[in-house]
Amino acid sequence: MSAHTHDVHAGHAHGDLQMGHHHVSSSRMFANVLVALLILTAITVATSRFDFGSANMLIAMVIASVKASLVMAFFMHLKWDTAINKIVFLSSFLFLSLLFLFTLTDLATRRIDNSLHTTKAPVDKGWVQPAPHAGH
Amino acid sequence: MSHDGHHSVVIPAPGPEFLPHTVAHHFDTPVQEFQAAKLGFWLFLATEILLFGGLFAAYFYYHEAYPETFRLGGHQLDWKLGALNTSVLLLSSWTMAMGVRSAQTSQKKKLLVYCGLTVLGAAIFMVVKFFEYKAKYDHGLFVFPEMFHGYDTATGQLPWFKDYHGVMAGVPHGHLFFAIYVTMTAIHGLHVLIGAGLILWVMKGAAKGRFHAGYFLPVDLVGLYWHLVDLIWIFLFPLLYLVP
Repeated sequence: MSAHTHDVHAGHAHGDLQMGHHHVSSSRMFANVLVALLILTAITVATSRFDFGSANMLIAMVIASVKASLVMAFFMHLKWDTAINKIVFLSSFLFLSLLFLFTLTDLATRRIDNSLHTTKAPVDKGWVQPAPHAGH
Repeated sequence: MSHDGHHSVVIPAPGPEFLPHTVAHHFDTPVQEFQAAKLGFWLFLATEILLFGGLFAAYFYYHEAYPETFRLGGHQLDWKLGALNTSVLLLSSWTMAMGVRSAQTSQKKKLLVYCGLTVLGAAIFMVVKFFEYKAKYDHGLFVFPEMFHGYDTATGQLPWFKDYHGVMAGVPHGHLFFAIYVTMTAIHGLHVLIGAGLILWVMKGAAKGRFHAGYFLPVDLVGLYWHLVDLIWIFLFPLLYLVP
Protein backbone atom coordinates (compact mmCIF):
# COMPACT_ATOMS: atom_id res chain seq x y z
CA MET A 1 0.00 0.00 0.00
CA SER A 2 1.10 3.58 -0.48
CA ALA A 3 3.07 5.13 2.33
CA HIS A 4 1.14 8.34 1.66
CA THR A 5 -1.64 6.99 3.81
CA HIS A 6 -1.56 8.89 7.07
CA ASP A 7 -5.00 8.11 8.37
CA VAL A 8 -3.96 5.04 10.35
CA HIS A 9 -6.44 4.11 13.01
CA ALA A 10 -5.56 3.54 16.63
CA GLY A 11 -6.41 0.06 17.79
CA HIS A 12 -6.09 -1.39 14.31
CA ALA A 13 -2.80 -3.16 14.70
CA HIS A 14 -2.64 -5.06 11.43
CA GLY A 15 -0.68 -4.95 8.20
CA ASP A 16 1.14 -1.78 7.24
CA LEU A 17 -0.98 0.45 9.44
CA GLN A 18 1.13 -0.05 12.57
CA MET A 19 4.19 -2.12 13.44
CA GLY A 20 2.43 -5.19 12.10
CA HIS A 21 0.60 -8.04 13.72
CA HIS A 22 2.10 -9.13 17.03
CA HIS A 23 1.42 -12.08 19.21
CA VAL A 24 0.52 -10.88 22.69
CA SER A 25 1.09 -13.71 25.16
CA SER A 26 -1.31 -14.30 28.02
CA SER A 27 -0.25 -13.50 31.58
CA ARG A 28 -1.06 -17.08 32.56
CA MET A 29 1.44 -18.44 30.03
CA PHE A 30 4.21 -16.18 31.36
CA ALA A 31 3.38 -17.27 34.93
CA ASN A 32 3.52 -20.94 33.91
CA VAL A 33 6.93 -20.43 32.27
CA LEU A 34 8.24 -18.69 35.42
CA VAL A 35 7.05 -21.54 37.66
CA ALA A 36 8.64 -24.10 35.31
CA LEU A 37 11.95 -22.18 35.38
CA LEU A 38 11.99 -22.02 39.18
CA ILE A 39 11.15 -25.74 39.49
CA LEU A 40 13.94 -26.60 37.03
CA THR A 41 16.35 -24.47 39.12
CA ALA A 42 15.41 -26.52 42.20
CA ILE A 43 15.93 -29.73 40.19
CA THR A 44 19.38 -28.44 39.11
CA VAL A 45 20.38 -27.94 42.76
CA ALA A 46 18.87 -31.29 43.81
CA THR A 47 20.65 -33.35 41.12
CA SER A 48 23.98 -31.69 41.98
CA ARG A 49 23.74 -33.29 45.46
CA PHE A 50 24.16 -36.76 43.94
CA ASP A 51 27.32 -38.13 42.41
CA PHE A 52 26.54 -39.49 38.96
CA GLY A 53 30.17 -39.23 37.89
CA SER A 54 30.63 -37.57 34.54
CA ALA A 55 26.85 -37.65 33.99
CA ASN A 56 26.47 -34.73 36.43
CA MET A 57 27.74 -32.31 33.78
CA LEU A 58 25.41 -33.77 31.15
CA ILE A 59 22.39 -33.56 33.49
CA ALA A 60 23.19 -29.95 34.51
CA MET A 61 23.62 -28.86 30.89
CA VAL A 62 20.47 -30.62 29.69
CA ILE A 63 18.39 -28.90 32.40
CA ALA A 64 20.04 -25.53 31.65
CA SER A 65 19.30 -26.02 27.93
CA VAL A 66 15.63 -26.73 28.67
CA LYS A 67 15.48 -23.57 30.83
CA ALA A 68 17.22 -21.54 28.11
CA SER A 69 14.78 -22.88 25.49
CA LEU A 70 11.82 -21.80 27.65
CA VAL A 71 13.29 -18.29 28.01
CA MET A 72 13.99 -18.02 24.28
CA ALA A 73 10.69 -19.46 23.05
CA PHE A 74 8.32 -17.67 25.43
CA PHE A 75 9.96 -14.73 27.23
CA MET A 76 11.89 -13.72 24.08
CA HIS A 77 8.89 -14.55 21.87
CA LEU A 78 11.13 -16.42 19.44
CA LYS A 79 8.35 -18.98 18.93
CA TRP A 80 6.26 -16.30 17.19
CA ASP A 81 9.14 -14.42 15.56
CA THR A 82 9.98 -14.42 11.86
CA ALA A 83 11.97 -17.27 10.29
CA ILE A 84 14.93 -14.99 9.50
CA ASN A 85 15.19 -13.83 13.13
CA LYS A 86 15.07 -17.44 14.35
CA ILE A 87 17.79 -18.46 11.88
CA VAL A 88 20.03 -15.49 12.77
CA PHE A 89 19.87 -16.11 16.51
CA LEU A 90 19.90 -19.90 16.54
CA SER A 91 22.80 -20.03 14.05
CA SER A 92 25.01 -18.54 16.78
CA PHE A 93 24.59 -21.81 18.68
CA LEU A 94 25.63 -23.75 15.59
CA PHE A 95 28.87 -21.76 15.34
CA LEU A 96 29.35 -22.09 19.09
CA SER A 97 29.17 -25.88 18.77
CA LEU A 98 32.00 -25.71 16.19
CA LEU A 99 34.11 -23.75 18.69
CA PHE A 100 33.39 -26.32 21.42
CA LEU A 101 34.02 -29.25 19.08
CA PHE A 102 37.49 -28.15 17.98
CA THR A 103 38.46 -26.90 21.45
CA LEU A 104 37.60 -30.25 23.01
CA THR A 105 39.35 -32.08 20.15
CA ASP A 106 42.53 -30.30 21.22
CA LEU A 107 41.96 -31.34 24.80
CA ALA A 108 41.31 -34.97 23.89
CA THR A 109 44.64 -35.19 22.05
CA ARG A 110 46.74 -33.47 24.74
CA ARG A 111 48.31 -35.09 27.79
CA ILE A 112 48.05 -33.00 30.94
CA ASP A 113 50.12 -34.08 33.90
CA ASN A 114 48.33 -32.66 36.92
CA SER A 115 51.04 -33.63 39.37
CA LEU A 116 53.49 -31.24 37.70
CA HIS A 117 51.37 -28.22 38.51
CA THR A 118 50.07 -29.03 41.95
CA THR A 119 50.64 -26.43 44.63
CA LYS A 120 51.96 -28.21 47.70
CA ALA A 121 51.52 -25.50 50.33
CA PRO A 122 49.40 -22.41 50.79
CA VAL A 123 50.91 -19.26 49.40
CA ASP A 124 52.18 -17.17 52.27
CA LYS A 125 50.99 -13.59 52.56
CA GLY A 126 54.62 -12.57 52.86
CA TRP A 127 55.43 -13.13 49.20
CA VAL A 128 53.43 -10.03 48.33
CA GLN A 129 56.65 -8.16 49.01
CA PRO A 130 59.23 -10.54 47.59
CA ALA A 131 62.74 -10.40 48.99
CA PRO A 132 65.24 -8.61 46.72
CA HIS A 133 67.18 -10.90 44.42
CA ALA A 134 70.57 -11.94 45.68
CA GLY A 135 73.33 -10.95 43.34
CA HIS A 136 71.35 -8.49 41.24
CA MET B 1 6.77 7.62 -1.49
CA SER B 2 7.63 8.54 2.06
CA HIS B 3 11.39 8.33 1.62
CA ASP B 4 11.39 11.49 -0.49
CA GLY B 5 11.46 13.29 2.85
CA HIS B 6 8.18 15.13 2.37
CA HIS B 7 5.79 12.69 3.93
CA SER B 8 6.41 10.96 7.20
CA VAL B 9 4.37 8.05 8.46
CA VAL B 10 2.91 8.64 11.89
CA ILE B 11 1.50 5.98 14.21
CA PRO B 12 -1.20 7.79 16.20
CA ALA B 13 -1.40 7.68 19.98
CA PRO B 14 -4.16 5.35 21.22
CA GLY B 15 -5.15 7.80 23.95
CA PRO B 16 -4.50 11.24 25.43
CA GLU B 17 -1.85 9.88 27.83
CA PHE B 18 0.21 8.56 24.89
CA LEU B 19 2.39 10.15 22.21
CA PRO B 20 2.25 9.37 18.48
CA HIS B 21 5.31 7.74 16.87
CA THR B 22 6.86 9.15 13.71
CA VAL B 23 8.47 6.40 11.65
CA ALA B 24 12.09 7.24 10.75
CA HIS B 25 12.18 8.85 7.29
CA HIS B 26 14.30 6.09 5.73
CA PHE B 27 11.54 3.53 6.29
CA ASP B 28 8.45 3.27 4.10
CA THR B 29 6.23 1.60 6.68
CA PRO B 30 6.11 0.98 10.44
CA VAL B 31 6.38 -2.76 9.72
CA GLN B 32 9.62 -2.22 7.82
CA GLU B 33 11.03 -0.16 10.70
CA PHE B 34 10.04 -2.80 13.24
CA GLN B 35 11.39 -5.77 11.26
CA ALA B 36 14.70 -4.03 10.44
CA ALA B 37 15.30 -3.15 14.09
CA LYS B 38 14.37 -6.65 15.27
CA LEU B 39 16.67 -8.34 12.75
CA GLY B 40 19.53 -6.04 13.74
CA PHE B 41 18.98 -6.72 17.40
CA TRP B 42 18.82 -10.51 17.00
CA LEU B 43 22.11 -10.26 15.08
CA PHE B 44 23.61 -8.30 17.99
CA LEU B 45 22.32 -10.92 20.45
CA ALA B 46 23.96 -13.63 18.30
CA THR B 47 27.32 -11.83 18.76
CA GLU B 48 26.64 -11.74 22.51
CA ILE B 49 26.20 -15.53 22.48
CA LEU B 50 29.55 -15.81 20.69
CA LEU B 51 31.23 -13.44 23.20
CA PHE B 52 30.11 -15.52 26.16
CA GLY B 53 30.61 -18.70 24.10
CA GLY B 54 34.38 -18.09 24.03
CA LEU B 55 34.39 -17.85 27.81
CA PHE B 56 32.30 -21.02 28.13
CA ALA B 57 34.79 -22.79 25.83
CA ALA B 58 37.60 -21.71 28.21
CA TYR B 59 35.55 -23.01 31.13
CA PHE B 60 34.93 -26.42 29.54
CA TYR B 61 38.57 -26.74 28.45
CA TYR B 62 40.04 -26.13 31.89
CA HIS B 63 37.25 -28.00 33.67
CA GLU B 64 38.16 -31.08 31.65
CA ALA B 65 41.89 -30.49 32.16
CA TYR B 66 41.74 -29.82 35.93
CA PRO B 67 38.43 -31.20 37.25
CA GLU B 68 39.63 -31.24 40.88
CA THR B 69 40.58 -27.57 40.72
CA PHE B 70 37.11 -26.68 39.49
CA ARG B 71 35.32 -28.87 42.02
CA LEU B 72 37.32 -27.38 44.90
CA GLY B 73 36.90 -23.87 43.48
CA GLY B 74 33.16 -24.32 43.16
CA HIS B 75 32.98 -25.32 46.82
CA GLN B 76 34.42 -21.91 47.76
CA LEU B 77 31.32 -20.23 46.33
CA ASP B 78 28.05 -20.11 48.27
CA TRP B 79 25.53 -22.03 46.16
CA LYS B 80 22.67 -20.57 48.22
CA LEU B 81 23.61 -17.05 47.11
CA GLY B 82 23.93 -18.36 43.55
CA ALA B 83 20.48 -19.95 43.74
CA LEU B 84 19.07 -16.74 45.23
CA ASN B 85 20.50 -14.69 42.37
CA THR B 86 19.22 -17.25 39.83
CA SER B 87 15.70 -16.89 41.24
CA VAL B 88 15.99 -13.09 41.27
CA LEU B 89 17.03 -13.04 37.60
CA LEU B 90 14.28 -15.49 36.57
CA LEU B 91 11.70 -13.34 38.40
CA SER B 92 13.06 -10.19 36.77
CA SER B 93 12.87 -11.87 33.36
CA TRP B 94 9.20 -12.57 34.08
CA THR B 95 8.53 -8.95 35.15
CA MET B 96 10.26 -7.76 31.94
CA ALA B 97 8.13 -10.08 29.80
CA MET B 98 5.04 -8.72 31.59
CA GLY B 99 6.35 -5.18 30.99
CA VAL B 100 6.58 -5.79 27.22
CA ARG B 101 3.06 -7.24 27.36
CA SER B 102 1.84 -4.10 29.19
CA ALA B 103 3.33 -1.95 26.42
CA GLN B 104 1.67 -4.13 23.75
CA THR B 105 -1.69 -3.65 25.47
CA SER B 106 -1.21 0.12 26.11
CA GLN B 107 -1.12 -0.20 29.91
CA LYS B 108 1.16 2.68 30.83
CA LYS B 109 1.10 2.34 34.61
CA LYS B 110 1.66 -1.44 34.50
CA LEU B 111 4.59 -0.97 32.11
CA LEU B 112 6.24 1.40 34.59
CA VAL B 113 5.59 -0.92 37.56
CA TYR B 114 6.93 -4.03 35.80
CA CYS B 115 10.02 -2.17 34.53
CA GLY B 116 10.59 -0.79 38.05
CA LEU B 117 10.42 -4.31 39.50
CA THR B 118 12.92 -5.52 36.88
CA VAL B 119 15.38 -2.77 37.87
CA LEU B 120 14.84 -3.75 41.51
CA GLY B 121 15.77 -7.34 40.56
CA ALA B 122 18.94 -6.05 38.86
CA ALA B 123 19.82 -4.07 42.01
CA ILE B 124 19.31 -7.08 44.32
CA PHE B 125 21.43 -9.21 41.97
CA MET B 126 24.31 -6.71 42.01
CA VAL B 127 24.19 -6.25 45.81
CA VAL B 128 24.42 -10.04 46.32
CA LYS B 129 27.24 -10.16 43.76
CA PHE B 130 29.08 -7.38 45.62
CA PHE B 131 29.06 -9.35 48.89
CA GLU B 132 30.17 -12.50 47.08
CA TYR B 133 33.07 -10.64 45.45
CA LYS B 134 34.02 -9.06 48.78
CA ALA B 135 34.24 -12.47 50.48
CA LYS B 136 36.49 -13.79 47.70
CA TYR B 137 38.62 -10.64 47.86
CA ASP B 138 39.03 -11.05 51.63
CA HIS B 139 40.24 -14.62 51.08
CA GLY B 140 42.74 -13.40 48.49
CA LEU B 141 41.15 -15.53 45.77
CA PHE B 142 41.24 -12.49 43.57
CA VAL B 143 42.76 -9.18 44.50
CA PHE B 144 41.31 -6.50 42.26
CA PRO B 145 44.12 -3.91 42.50
CA GLU B 146 46.52 -6.52 41.14
CA MET B 147 44.09 -8.11 38.70
CA PHE B 148 46.02 -6.95 35.64
CA HIS B 149 49.51 -7.55 36.98
CA GLY B 150 51.15 -10.30 35.00
CA TYR B 151 52.78 -13.50 36.07
CA ASP B 152 55.64 -12.69 38.42
CA THR B 153 58.72 -14.60 37.23
CA ALA B 154 60.64 -13.72 40.42
CA THR B 155 58.14 -15.40 42.76
CA GLY B 156 56.52 -17.74 40.27
CA GLN B 157 53.13 -16.46 41.37
CA LEU B 158 50.18 -14.56 39.98
CA PRO B 159 49.99 -11.32 42.00
CA TRP B 160 46.17 -11.25 42.00
CA PHE B 161 45.82 -14.77 43.41
CA LYS B 162 47.02 -14.92 47.04
CA ASP B 163 44.82 -17.66 48.59
CA TYR B 164 45.52 -16.44 52.16
CA HIS B 165 43.83 -19.48 53.76
CA GLY B 166 45.27 -22.03 51.39
CA VAL B 167 41.84 -23.30 50.37
CA MET B 168 43.13 -24.19 46.91
CA ALA B 169 46.30 -25.90 48.09
CA GLY B 170 46.79 -29.38 46.73
CA VAL B 171 45.16 -28.86 43.35
CA PRO B 172 46.86 -27.80 40.13
CA HIS B 173 46.44 -24.18 38.99
CA GLY B 174 44.13 -23.11 41.81
CA HIS B 175 43.87 -19.63 40.27
CA LEU B 176 42.28 -20.95 37.06
CA PHE B 177 38.81 -21.43 38.50
CA PHE B 178 38.76 -17.96 40.01
CA ALA B 179 40.16 -16.32 36.88
CA ILE B 180 37.29 -17.84 34.89
CA TYR B 181 34.74 -17.18 37.63
CA VAL B 182 35.57 -13.49 37.95
CA THR B 183 35.87 -12.91 34.19
CA MET B 184 32.55 -14.55 33.36
CA THR B 185 30.56 -13.05 36.26
CA ALA B 186 32.09 -9.58 35.84
CA ILE B 187 31.22 -9.44 32.13
CA HIS B 188 27.77 -10.80 32.99
CA GLY B 189 27.44 -8.23 35.80
CA LEU B 190 28.37 -5.48 33.34
CA HIS B 191 25.46 -6.67 31.18
CA VAL B 192 23.16 -6.54 34.23
CA LEU B 193 24.18 -2.91 34.84
CA ILE B 194 23.78 -1.94 31.17
CA GLY B 195 20.41 -3.74 31.07
CA ALA B 196 19.20 -1.89 34.18
CA GLY B 197 20.28 1.42 32.62
CA LEU B 198 18.38 0.59 29.41
CA ILE B 199 15.25 -0.33 31.38
CA LEU B 200 15.46 3.02 33.24
CA TRP B 201 15.68 4.72 29.82
CA VAL B 202 12.58 2.78 28.71
CA MET B 203 10.80 3.93 31.88
CA LYS B 204 11.63 7.56 31.06
CA GLY B 205 9.99 7.17 27.65
CA ALA B 206 7.10 5.18 29.10
CA ALA B 207 6.37 7.95 31.61
CA LYS B 208 6.02 10.35 28.67
CA GLY B 209 3.64 7.91 26.97
CA ARG B 210 5.92 6.98 24.06
CA PHE B 211 5.08 3.27 24.18
CA HIS B 212 1.69 1.73 23.39
CA ALA B 213 0.03 -0.96 21.26
CA GLY B 214 0.97 0.97 18.09
CA TYR B 215 4.65 1.39 18.99
CA PHE B 216 6.58 -0.60 21.59
CA LEU B 217 9.78 -1.42 19.67
CA PRO B 218 12.32 -0.06 22.24
CA VAL B 219 10.56 -1.92 25.10
CA ASP B 220 10.66 -5.11 23.04
CA LEU B 221 14.38 -4.80 22.22
CA VAL B 222 15.45 -3.88 25.78
CA GLY B 223 13.34 -6.83 26.95
CA LEU B 224 15.26 -9.16 24.61
CA TYR B 225 18.56 -7.84 26.01
CA TRP B 226 17.38 -8.47 29.56
CA HIS B 227 16.30 -12.04 28.74
CA LEU B 228 19.75 -12.67 27.24
CA VAL B 229 21.33 -11.66 30.57
CA ASP B 230 19.06 -14.26 32.20
CA LEU B 231 19.89 -16.84 29.50
CA ILE B 232 23.66 -16.57 30.20
CA TRP B 233 23.15 -16.84 33.97
CA ILE B 234 21.08 -20.02 33.55
CA PHE B 235 24.33 -21.68 32.39
CA LEU B 236 26.69 -19.82 34.73
CA PHE B 237 24.86 -20.90 37.90
CA PRO B 238 25.30 -24.69 37.64
CA LEU B 239 28.77 -24.42 36.08
CA LEU B 240 30.25 -22.10 38.72
CA TYR B 241 28.29 -22.78 41.91
CA LEU B 242 27.46 -26.48 41.54
CA VAL B 243 30.54 -27.47 39.50
CA PRO B 244 29.48 -30.79 37.96
